[in-house]
Amino acid sequence: MKQSRHTRRVFNFAAVASVAALAGVAGISGLQAQSKSIKLGITLPLTGADADDAAKIEHGFQLAIDDANAKGGVAGYKIETVIFDSATATAGQYDPAQAATNTKKLISDPAVVANLGPQMSGEGKAMTPILSEADLATITPSSTNPDITNPAMAGTFKPKGKAIYFRTVTTDAFQGPNMANYFAQNLKVKTVYVLDDSGAYGVGIADSFQKQAEKDGIKVLGRDQLNPKEADYTTILTKIKGLKPDALYYGGVAQAGVKLAKQAYDIIPNMIKGGGDGIQGGSFLKGGGFPAVEGWYSTNAGPHLTEDPAAAAFVKAFQDKYKDVPSDYSITAYDAAQVVLDAIKRVADSGKEVNRANVRDAMQTSNLKTLQGVVSFDENGDIKDRTVSVFQYKHDAKYPDDDLTHQNPYIGVAPQS
Amino acid sequence: MESWEILLQQVINGLSLGAMYALLALGFTMVYGIIELINFAHFNIFMVGSFIAMWLMQLMGFTGQTHILYGLPLVGLLVLVLCATMLSTGALGALIERYGLRALRGVSGTAPMITTIGLSYILFNVILLTTGADTKNYSNPMPNIRWEFGDAVLRLREVMLWGVSVVLMIALHYFVRRTKMGKAMQATAQDQEAARMVGVDVDRVVIITFFIGSALAGAAGLIFGLYYNYTSFIIGYTAGLRAFTAAVLGGIGNIPGAMLGGVLIGLIESLGGQYLAVRWTDVIIFSILVLVLVFRPTGLLGRAAPTKS
Repeated sequence: MKQSRHTRRVFNFAAVASVAALAGVAGISGLQAQSKSIKLGITLPLTGADADDAAKIEHGFQLAIDDANAKGGVAGYKIETVIFDSATATAGQYDPAQAATNTKKLISDPAVVANLGPQMSGEGKAMTPILSEADLATITPSSTNPDITNPAMAGTFKPKGKAIYFRTVTTDAFQGPNMANYFAQNLKVKTVYVLDDSGAYGVGIADSFQKQAEKDGIKVLGRDQLNPKEADYTTILTKIKGLKPDALYYGGVAQAGVKLAKQAYDIIPNMIKGGGDGIQGGSFLKGGGFPAVEGWYSTNAGPHLTEDPAAAAFVKAFQDKYKDVPSDYSITAYDAAQVVLDAIKRVADSGKEVNRANVRDAMQTSNLKTLQGVVSFDENGDIKDRTVSVFQYKHDAKYPDDDLTHQNPYIGVAPQS
Repeated sequence: MESWEILLQQVINGLSLGAMYALLALGFTMVYGIIELINFAHFNIFMVGSFIAMWLMQLMGFTGQTHILYGLPLVGLLVLVLCATMLSTGALGALIERYGLRALRGVSGTAPMITTIGLSYILFNVILLTTGADTKNYSNPMPNIRWEFGDAVLRLREVMLWGVSVVLMIALHYFVRRTKMGKAMQATAQDQEAARMVGVDVDRVVIITFFIGSALAGAAGLIFGLYYNYTSFIIGYTAGLRAFTAAVLGGIGNIPGAMLGGVLIGLIESLGGQYLAVRWTDVIIFSILVLVLVFRPTGLLGRAAPTKS
């Protein structure tokens, strides 16, 4: 009786202890789960004139992150995202001021160790000074203005000195000039008129195109600037028609590009017309529509990937999940996210703390096999591969009108200077 | 292209722009003439008008530029869509006056004007949030008929644009000068109190003024879409600002002045773009505006001595 009471007491104690222990373990593991997640920012103009292309990029990022989380995270960390829209209604497209505001919010969250994006160079220029101060690296799958990573302009764009703007595409220091070479060598263009859309990207790529065109012996008959909010471009197109150049080059994004294409189709239907990656995508294709976009050349600041067998599994997964055709920049976005995830893994594996500075340093030394090949960066953050691909819009009635891969077929690589 | 062909083409371009600005400027100038209010909601009534017209055509099965009509069916469709659009935007303008602005009439200071800015933003955001921000490929059943004069081209859509604008402006002129309601409007513009004393229903005059101005903006919205083959939530801004400038240039409150101002701004835009550079367009337009106002503070056709007490 006494014995049994004692036993019971022991048993009770054991039960209480085990419950407490369980609770304790649960408490600790709960705590661990909390500390074992880290955040990545995503900054893109998700609304506005470029929304369609931004969504293709966002889905590229998201697919990489979802894959990693499905496999149990990166080095035990669950990856969360904080998504910012850098477009505003008043701009109707990306808005540098909004990008800067978002970046300030982003750096105030200590759990954020890196950012994915932006899509546009105009956003990038506004974001980098703030990112540099916070030592927070970003990686862009599509913004190509060379100023941002140009060491001569480091005082403006990376005041703290270290590279914080990485890219999985090359810059307009190659995209514009290589297209000028393509105009001169492949299309035998002798005279050209150059337009830009007054944005950071548009002015930059038009400048670099113009410079190389002159070197290639193409006569530049004029250069003017479009206001992207203006509806009417008939004046400038009439002026261009009067000057009779062989070709028109447009540096800029979809907002002005769509209207330019529609009105150019009426006024200068037979002229050779081309632009950069700003008009390479769904926004230009859907907004402009056939027949207006027929014949326009466009480029990508990277190799053509969506039809590459190495990317076939990605393309299928993307289509299954998002019911949309990926662009080449969906793939550079997927690769960009892989670079960041790989950097986090290497930091964690080396036993160092996973923080902004260490992730940045690890991104700098990336040497990662991705869908587009091995990605590695120079000391400024620019990708070492400098391929520029050329495309041309050509209506193919066999496929849906917004199927980018088939309505804007790949032609080849633009000649390097 | 010879230089005369370029000039001719730019005049055609400029007159088309100008006709559209003039239609829009009329709405600003009429409201200002009656109650001395600058109605910034007008910018986006124009934009909403272009969407309403597009939706109407989509309802009738016209999307993009695939279904082309000729002759009488084309005229019939355009007249039908034009009337329906004008009635809808006119009603929208009247609603804005009745429920947004009437309570503020007589309030001194900037409150009514700020209210119109707020209403403008509401329209802008409603369209943005319901239809998305991408540029819309407009429904356009007009064939691509063109007449060539050397290398200069006149297209059917320019003729349509001029035709509709001229007819509407003549109708407005007749309405204001000849009808009883038009005379009541003139009386109200000259002196609201005196008009009330002789039995004019001022509230009715004001709401009809909003209706007509907004209906003209709706017509301009349809014409815009057919002319450029696109619309977007953002089109009200630049066109509205130019039209407002046109109204001030011509003399705000003065109906023929708004028409003259619109055509002038359109021509300045196209000829300035041709002979200087497109990037200077706004600088040229506003320099001319400042110069005109320095020498003629009431605008080109504005009266030097206001009739208001």
